[in-house]
Amino acid sequence: METVIKQSGKTQVFKDKANKVMGISLEDGKLTKSYLSVAFLAILLGGILGLVQGLNRAGMLELPAWLNYYQVLTAHGLLLVVVLSAFFTIGYFYAGLSHTLGGLLPKVRKMAWIGFWMKIFGFVLAVIPILMNEASVMYTFYPPMAASPIFYIGLVFIVLGVWMCAFGAFINVASWRKRNPGKHVPILSFFATGVFVLLFFGSLPVAIEVFTIIPWAFGWVETINVMVARTLFWAFGHTLVNIWYLTAVSAWYVIVPKVIGGRRWNDLLTRIVVIALVIMNITGGFHHQIIDPGISEPVKYMHVFMSLAIGFPSLMTAYAMFAVFERTARRKGGKGLVGWYKKLPWGDVRFLAPFIAMAAFIPAGAGGIAQTTNQLNQVVHNTMWVVGHFHLTLGMSVVMTFFGLIYWLIPYVSKRVLTPQINKLGVIQTIIWTIGMIIMSGAMHWVGLLGSPRRTSYSTYFDNATALSWDPYLFFLAIGGTLLMIGVLMQVYAVFYLMFFAPKGNTEFPIAEVEEDEAPTPRWTERWGLWVVCMIVLVGMAYVIPLVDFMVNAPPGSPPFKTW
Amino acid sequence: MMKSPVYGLLLLFALMLPPVANLLESIMITHMHMQMPLLIISGLFMAKFFQHRFPEFFSKWNENGVPGLLLFSIIMVYWSLPRTMDEALTLTSVEIFKFISLPFLAGVPLRDSWPKLSSFWKHALIIFFTILFLALGWLYIWSPVQLCNNYLIIEQITLGWGFISTAFAMVVYLIYSYFVDLSKYE
Ligand code: HEM
Ligand SMILES: [Cu+2]
Repeated sequence: METVIKQSGKTQVFKDKANKVMGISLEDGKLTKSYLSVAFLAILLGGILGLVQGLNRAGMLELPAWLNYYQVLTAHGLLLVVVLSAFFTIGYFYAGLSHTLGGLLPKVRKMAWIGFWMKIFGFVLAVIPILMNEASVMYTFYPPMAASPIFYIGLVFIVLGVWMCAFGAFINVASWRKRNPGKHVPILSFFATGVFVLLFFGSLPVAIEVFTIIPWAFGWVETINVMVARTLFWAFGHTLVNIWYLTAVSAWYVIVPKVIGGRRWNDLLTRIVVIALVIMNITGGFHHQIIDPGISEPVKYMHVFMSLAIGFPSLMTAYAMFAVFERTARRKGGKGLVGWYKKLPWGDVRFLAPFIAMAAFIPAGAGGIAQTTNQLNQVVHNTMWVVGHFHLTLGMSVVMTFFGLIYWLIPYVSKRVLTPQINKLGVIQTIIWTIGMIIMSGAMHWVGLLGSPRRTSYSTYFDNATALSWDPYLFFLAIGGTLLMIGVLMQVYAVFYLMFFAPKGNTEFPIAEVEEDEAPTPRWTERWGLWVVCMIVLVGMAYVIPLVDFMVNAPPGSPPFKTW
Repeated sequence: MMKSPVYGLLLLFALMLPPVANLLESIMITHMHMQMPLLIISGLFMAKFFQHRFPEFFSKWNENGVPGLLLFSIIMVYWSLPRTMDEALTLTSVEIFKFISLPFLAGVPLRDSWPKLSSFWKHALIIFFTILFLALGWLYIWSPVQLCNNYLIIEQITLGWGFISTAFAMVVYLIYSYFVDLSKYE
């Protein structure tokens, strides 16, 4: 495929092959490096705050008067669920777009830079009130808790910045398709398209929410409809979670098979998984509101199905991954019912980290399915169990996949190579992170079942016996958190070492090929217009009934509260 | 053996089961936006059977697809009226007509017409329904009175928003097909 792209005035011809041999263009590399640097600075800061929280909850650290637990929690949540994940996802997929589509269009690169600075600007705006203790509303910023309006204006800029990157990706993909008629979008860019479609449509509801909050936070309107705001938030919050998951999944399907020297899973089924996750995602938001009042039982019942439906493509993924592992290991001479696992490259961090991440998704997904049922949710809602759950899903499955990616992605974008020492560091880091997360998230799950609430700074509730019985578990939480902090430091060191100090050289962007005898993928998989319509129709089915109910039968509405 | 007509027929029978029909008809929006589309979908599945049995009929009466399109649209418009929904709940004959007309007079002709239609007609159809749905949404949401004897005003408003969100989906599709010319990619 011949792809000619004008690079800022002078014309450069990028052949796909050339792109593979010479690696990423300097400008595209710089973009991804910047995004990844922000992501890992966020994890450094966020990790420190996480440790502060963990030590506080174990009763080992009393926060000084000028630092409030909820301030720390807000920053931890925002840094890790918004900054880390958004910046990593965008940095990684933009490198993928650049690699598989023959370079970014100059216009698109510019959009991604504008998006970058908009997000940074927005983030700075949001952080100022947090530091001033004017926005300790946690990353969910549910009304009726109200932060300083500046906080929400910051969020608006973050969302706009994300949209810039989403549209940049669409433009690049569309332009590639025009230049390559009749061809399928390369699989990694197909994943990117899905992710950016979700990022855009998933953040529409939160944009609407924030625009209703701003006048209320300024005091221009007196009250706000709390249920509507919560619902709009979770339509976004849930989708966001699944966006990182889909990002990790893209690496499992496309990258990991190549790292272990195999071929990837069936192309058609892979694309179906992407399409299914895009269509069915947003409606899962309601499983965060199972305990919310004002939603009728039948509607909640419908949402159990909508939420469980997302489990189906995940099960397909689990099957696909193990099939790929077994096939590859057997080709390398692996034998026996389970003995083939010996043939996998366990000493290679680029495999080990995503593998453990995947394995962690088995208990994490099982916990998720349990939580999404009405009765079980009553037991764990707003307890530390939930915090354990998302540290397992996000902190382990997603983040550890991201960790595993940087050992080739950063050398690739900075034209360096992974050294054996850093690989070893990575393996040790992976083990430390795994042990730390098992201890921390295990303790969180357990103490949650015993009733310890989430989002609550240390308290013995006047030496109540039940509350005191939580202490040993919270102590384990602190131990796990300390291990994780060590892991964070090692990881951040590896990232910046690979970016600036590792030996120069060429690193490959590992993308697995399909099996040779595979049937061609049908064309309908490319009909994104149709998938988006299906998604909107499904969203309509899920949201129209409850939202109309909330608005027509609305209670008087709530004035803003400052609870801290 | 053609499987899809059998599935279509099974779907139709399932929808006709009294408990299923009662459940779907008990809520206004599931009546119009779930039961009725499912009836049409059952017709889409069954269409192959009729096309094989009566090939001349379809080629003679629906040569360029436009007559089928018109029939589909008329049936659709008929069933978008509040009054017809009400009648379906009170008069058995109208209820039976619903279960016949939507699969066989809307679903089947749509399936036969769609591949025959030029993209002009396809887009015309979507534009027509977008406008119709916006208008109906407006009617159901802002009507000051209860339009159906059988459904409360809140259900009517809900249905109105259902129309608006469906129209929104179609607008997104139209914008997409305006900007993305699929033939350029093939
Ligand atoms: C050094 C590693 C980490 C430690 C020690 C840590 C510890 C904690 C603790 C103790 C809480 C507070 C529980 C509560 O009071 O409700 C918490 C909350 C949270 N953590 Fe972490 N965490 C770490 C890493 C991560 C990572 C990698 C992510 C996600 C990518 C993450 C996402 C969150 C989120 C979203 C919350 C909830 C905030 C809220 O409830 O508003 N954490 N973490
Ligand atoms: Cu969720």
